[in-house]
Amino acid sequence: MASTGVGLKETTAFRRGIVNGKQLTAKDREALMQAYLPLEPADSSDPSRSSSPAPRKKQNMRTKPTPTKRKVGIVRNALHVVIYVVVSFLFSVFFRFRRSWRLVTSKIVSLLKYHHRTPEFIQRDTKHLERLPQHLSVILDFHESDEDLGNAGLEGLVNDVCEIAAWTASAGIPFLSVYERTGKLKNYIQQTHSSISQTLEAYFGPRRKPSLSVRAPHLQSYSPPLTPPTRPVSSDSNGASAEPQHLTVLLLSAEDGRDTMIDLTKTLSDMAQNGTLHPEQVNSNLIDAELREAVCTDPDLLVLFSPTVVLNGYPPWQLRLTEIFHLPDNKGVNYQVFLRSLYNYAKVEMRLGR
Amino acid sequence: MDSLHNSRIRKWFAESPPVTWGVRQLRELLIGALKQGPIPQHVAFVMDGNRRFARDHHIETVEGHNLGFEALARILEVCYKTGVKVVTIYAFSIENFKRSKHEVDALMKMAKVKLEQLSEHGALLDRYGASIRILGQRNLVKPDVLAAVDKAVAMTAHNKRAILNVCFPYTSRDEITSAVRTTVETYSTPLGSQSLPLKRPFSETHITQHIRQQMLNTVPEEVSEQMASRSASPSSPKENGHSAEGEHSSAASTAINSSDKDESNSALASFRDPESITAETLTDHMLTAGAPPLDLLVRTSGVQRLSDFMLWQCHEKTSIVFLECLWPEFDLWQFLPVLIEWQWQRRKLHEQERGRSRHIVL
Repeated sequence: MASTGVGLKETTAFRRGIVNGKQLTAKDREALMQAYLPLEPADSSDPSRSSSPAPRKKQNMRTKPTPTKRKVGIVRNALHVVIYVVVSFLFSVFFRFRRSWRLVTSKIVSLLKYHHRTPEFIQRDTKHLERLPQHLSVILDFHESDEDLGNAGLEGLVNDVCEIAAWTASAGIPFLSVYERTGKLKNYIQQTHSSISQTLEAYFGPRRKPSLSVRAPHLQSYSPPLTPPTRPVSSDSNGASAEPQHLTVLLLSAEDGRDTMIDLTKTLSDMAQNGTLHPEQVNSNLIDAELREAVCTDPDLLVLFSPTVVLNGYPPWQLRLTEIFHLPDNKGVNYQVFLRSLYNYAKVEMRLGR
Repeated sequence: MDSLHNSRIRKWFAESPPVTWGVRQLRELLIGALKQGPIPQHVAFVMDGNRRFARDHHIETVEGHNLGFEALARILEVCYKTGVKVVTIYAFSIENFKRSKHEVDALMKMAKVKLEQLSEHGALLDRYGASIRILGQRNLVKPDVLAAVDKAVAMTAHNKRAILNVCFPYTSRDEITSAVRTTVETYSTPLGSQSLPLKRPFSETHITQHIRQQMLNTVPEEVSEQMASRSASPSSPKENGHSAEGEHSSAASTAINSSDKDESNSALASFRDPESITAETLTDHMLTAGAPPLDLLVRTSGVQRLSDFMLWQCHEKTSIVFLECLWPEFDLWQFLPVLIEWQWQRRKLHEQERGRSRHIVL
């Protein structure tokens, strides 16, 4: 433990409160602390410390620093700047290298683990997982401009949603919520539905395609009537896949976070003003039930495709016990992140090249 | 995996005076260097991994918590020396009461002892300029611990330079719920007509008076004009009666109006308008009210969950960092890369924003 920079005597004193077999008094402790204390605060104008007379005296002594002391201060300051520049330069080089390294490895992994747009491949990847989330949530970004990733604009966003929905359905997860801050997708629920169902058809084929409903909070669920069920055929061929799968896609936006919470507070205040509710009746169960109904249940797993974890206004209440996954330095939606998040959720090491 | 008991020589070397002195100087130097860049104003820590650390090193759970407290002291030193304004730590969750009684009692005792020790050094605390605040459900804490807590809080309350928020029976949902509840309470308590929150430079009574006066002035004139045009022969008692009537009616009408107004005031405006509730209203009712927005949230021990901590505060722009190391191992050497990466990201963000604004300008 060389890292702490604290001596043996101090450490034991700190842990046990005993030095040389006798109990420390408050004074002893202060004496021990002397070496570790920060300098007197430089701003003597601080009103908070005018109350204590003892530091005052010392401060007065410090107000007239000798020239050597001042010189030491300047040198120290310059040293700090130099070290700061050097350290931040070294780290920025390191961060860049690390990002390239991670990019390369993730490219290799995504070559090794490609889904080939067939659910069987995805099922093979995920079927040995003991624990699958029942409610998967993803955060996507709306890109104004194309940064050579090919996912700009609404089209790119819908493409991402379609792919993720297909993977989710293939892995057998029944509920997917897609968070996108601006909520642009909510205006195109119908179009999103048709795009996703096309993608699902491309993955599963027209016969085994899971049924799909797309909805957003406060908006009507969009699930057009299903094509006549082909159950007899499928149950004949394979008993396991007889049950038709269903996927629900929920579109969330920043409105469903704080704003919904504020709307709830407004409604509760209204009720309290009318006398239909007593403020004491507001408890977490009530809020939880209301938000559960208005927005969604708590997601089990939240997957970020961004390089760092920044939640960008994701509904806060629902995040309580959600597992948050992100791949450092990753940029853009890809299957590898999805798969890794599921492995991470199931606490399984991802092995490559079996 | 080296246990705490072996590697004696290394330990002896590490604890010899010159080495500790050197390490300390190095720490000071690095902290001083860090200060040159942007520094997060508000940092939160989830101190996770004390129990696993104890299990891994075959020591008692309570001992693990003690080591965790040491790590906390070290980190706080780093934070305040670099210039972080607010540090929020997740010390004890309401859910933690479900743990074994032995452990809960030991944790409570530790909190009490440490806070009591802290209270003995008022002058030294002033040197750090940090005030302690306890966030959470006070009624769940035993009275003796609460006394120690209150003493420490009162002792440091005058310090303004930095704040240490200790979340001590705390869960974020509980915090949000009580924020909503207090908001509902403030909006459902009728306001006295004297204590209207809005203070405009105009008084309503003055305005009604003014209107009344205007009516008094105009109505008789009209009446008299009408009178003059209608009947050339002015009969003074008639006119007097008329003007009196006019005056009376106008007075009555304003009186009725004003009384109507008063009634509607007392019926409607005695409550604050719920539509005026905003995110800021709720934020101000959170336990961290007044603190700068959370810049950085660090969770140790590799668990990638928020576990009901700072949900309201961290879901906007906070950088959330999950570290693999356990909390008792957490020190400057683990925190330094996190801080530098944060600084780096911050700089990149600034560059991007600047670039974007330049685009817009062009």
